[in-house]
Amino acid sequence: MANKKFLKKTKISNDNSGQQKVIVFDSGVLISFSLNGITEIIEDLKKDFKGKFLITSEIKREIIDFPLKIKRFELEALKLKNLFDRNILEPPSSIDIKDSEIFQKTNEILDLANNCFVGDGKAIKLINGGEASCLALSTLLSQKGIKNVLAIDERTTRMLVENPEELKNFLERKLHVKIKICEKSSFFFKNFKIIRSPELVYVAYKKNLIKLKDKNVLDALLYAVKFKGASISNEEIEEMKKLAKVN
Amino acid sequence: MYEKENILSIFQETKEAILRGDSSRIKNLSNRTTNSASLTHDPDNIAAAVIIYSISKIIERTNYQKIPEWDKFYKSYLNSIDKIIEAIKKENYEAYRKEIRIMRSGISKFSGELEKSIQEVFRKASINKASKIYEHGISMEKTANLLGVTLFELASYAGERGISDAPGKQNVNVRTRIKFAEEMFE
Repeated sequence: MANKKFLKKTKISNDNSGQQKVIVFDSGVLISFSLNGITEIIEDLKKDFKGKFLITSEIKREIIDFPLKIKRFELEALKLKNLFDRNILEPPSSIDIKDSEIFQKTNEILDLANNCFVGDGKAIKLINGGEASCLALSTLLSQKGIKNVLAIDERTTRMLVENPEELKNFLERKLHVKIKICEKSSFFFKNFKIIRSPELVYVAYKKNLIKLKDKNVLDALLYAVKFKGASISNEEIEEMKKLAKVN
Repeated sequence: MYEKENILSIFQETKEAILRGDSSRIKNLSNRTTNSASLTHDPDNIAAAVIIYSISKIIERTNYQKIPEWDKFYKSYLNSIDKIIEAIKKENYEAYRKEIRIMRSGISKFSGELEKSIQEVFRKASINKASKIYEHGISMEKTANLLGVTLFELASYAGERGISDAPGKQNVNVRTRIKFAEEMFE
């Protein structure tokens, strides 16, 4: 029995090419779906996904354990807990990645990220443990040869990965100090792939998974996630809508 | 405490503005700590920003002045600001922090109506200041943690005000990012 349970626990679905796949969720994406009352989209996407949706224990604490104690967000937290309880969202231990491995890698990443930009002689502490834990899990998955993307809505972590030079310029403009980038640290962040809640909504729409049928539903969903924190411009939304029509 | 002189002058100017009833001046003063708070994450700067922004909101809402205990409350806040100014001048930062705590928690000695209203002002001020720090390039989670607000509150507030938008040229365009997502679902 124990052996059977172990096999079930460690099994990870493959796509047709035999490649294992994982989406690592940051808190922002799940918060956005939950606040908008559209967590069923995550559930439907999971049914269609030949892989796992993972959240680290840090993220679970941020989106479930902590808000469950706050009356104002108890319902949103319960909706996400429900996804977790039904294994739609799973912990990394479901593919035999230990919390201790993530913890160690998280600390390494925090050290890199939070010493990457220096202004006025001070290292700017840009990111926190939850965001770093997602990057850590993604790194560990890549090391194991598991194809993965990060689902991150917030701007800073995404810019750190995709556009550190622009993040430097942005920090200089906002903080009014000259910023130096540590090239060695910023190089580490180059290899992550990031999607956001708008891309997940887009895929769900294209796969006809959205239950609400209306010609404006994609527009409504994209703006809904934007207004709950997804870092996406109006221009990007308009382009996504055009692409949805063409493809 | 970072930028002691700046914080001192902010509290001095805040007191003058309170006496004039100039809430917009006080609001502007609260923004003067955002750079330091974003750069250093100094709790004393962050606390100053939240308290001063809250005061601007309290002064702005003239209906609070009709609440029976208003005069007592107003005097106690002015008294706290005097003590804060003295504490900073003497570089007694423990006394500064204690007075900030009194301003935030001392409200519980007032009537239910005033207590509830002012607590809500403080909560919203924390979210507002968190959004300002997020706007300055610090990650959402880091900012929520610094200000003691939930990610749910910050995500909504920042999203509704367009604070989350990424500036400048995007290195990964819409097509590429959609491709990342679609490849995962193939």
